[in-house]
Amino acid sequence: MHKNFKNITAVVVFILMGIAFYENFQLMPAYKGLGEGVSDYIIRSGLSETGSLNLITAVLYDYRAFDSLGESTVIFGAVSGIVLILSRKMLPVSSRGLSFIVKRTLGIITPFIALFSIYVITHGHLTPGGGFQGGVIFAAISIIFSIVYGSAFDYRRYSPQMKTAFETVGALTFLGLGIAGIFMEGYFLHNLGFLTAETGTLISAGSIPYINMGVGLKVGAGLAIIFYSMIQKTFKEEI
Amino acid sequence: MFINAVFIILFLLGFYALIVKKNLIKMVIGLNLMEAAVFFWVISFSDIGGEVAIHKLNEAAVNFNDPVPQALTLTGIVIGASTAALLLTLIIELNKFTDTIDRDEIEGLNN
Repeated sequence: MHKNFKNITAVVVFILMGIAFYENFQLMPAYKGLGEGVSDYIIRSGLSETGSLNLITAVLYDYRAFDSLGESTVIFGAVSGIVLILSRKMLPVSSRGLSFIVKRTLGIITPFIALFSIYVITHGHLTPGGGFQGGVIFAAISIIFSIVYGSAFDYRRYSPQMKTAFETVGALTFLGLGIAGIFMEGYFLHNLGFLTAETGTLISAGSIPYINMGVGLKVGAGLAIIFYSMIQKTFKEEI
Repeated sequence: MFINAVFIILFLLGFYALIVKKNLIKMVIGLNLMEAAVFFWVISFSDIGGEVAIHKLNEAAVNFNDPVPQALTLTGIVIGASTAALLLTLIIELNKFTDTIDRDEIEGLNN
């Protein structure tokens, strides 16, 4: 009786909340499209101002680059917290991995995954993609190593120190480009105009591709560290 | 409309899991469901039936969707993943000390 009463109360409260939400949404003004405002400005002059074909990347790494810096700082904070909480020793938990067939197949596929992640990172200003997306694909390689080949293999090939170095290099790239913006253009994280070549080529859009590479390294190494820290303590020794 | 109704249902499902469920991992799933509802809504309401805001070389600009909500959503997804990882880490550590992930069985939190 007591338990049922609690559940019924919760359901009634949530239904009332749903009705209140719905009424509030009825009061909202309709979306007017892109007639004016900042979105229209970015669509009209984003290409000529930044040289980046991908306007979403232009927003992320040029107009709101400071926000992206804060975002990568959030990842850094999460990684620091997880490593502080979970890892007291940086020794791997060994496991034998999956079967021979899976190991051989992924041995063939893994270089192409790496190539795809590098493509997604470096072409972030031309095609869909960018540092965050490519970095996640990059972290998938480390996760494949841990699951398929065993975490001892991952430890040997791609040690935690190396991951930490990658993350530091990524963060320093981002910060260095920001500080270079102060000295060369006058503002923090201003797009470095002298790097711009012909629009549509790989070396264009000022400092956006380099920021993309830094963010890609940072996100890839950060997610790999998170996964490694979690798998380290939760899987028991098998051999 | 349809988008608002889907948003409300998803958001309230997540909120229900966060408030009512006893299992800590289910609470994290509920939190992520609320985030997913917000991202879905932000992306959907800015969709005016145009293309993704990426110029093509040697072609005139067609009608684009709004690029700003998509960039904001990318930010939100990354931060959501970071917070989810941190929460799951805390649950792992809690499980090591208390041998439970049930909210009511943890000593000190149960009145």
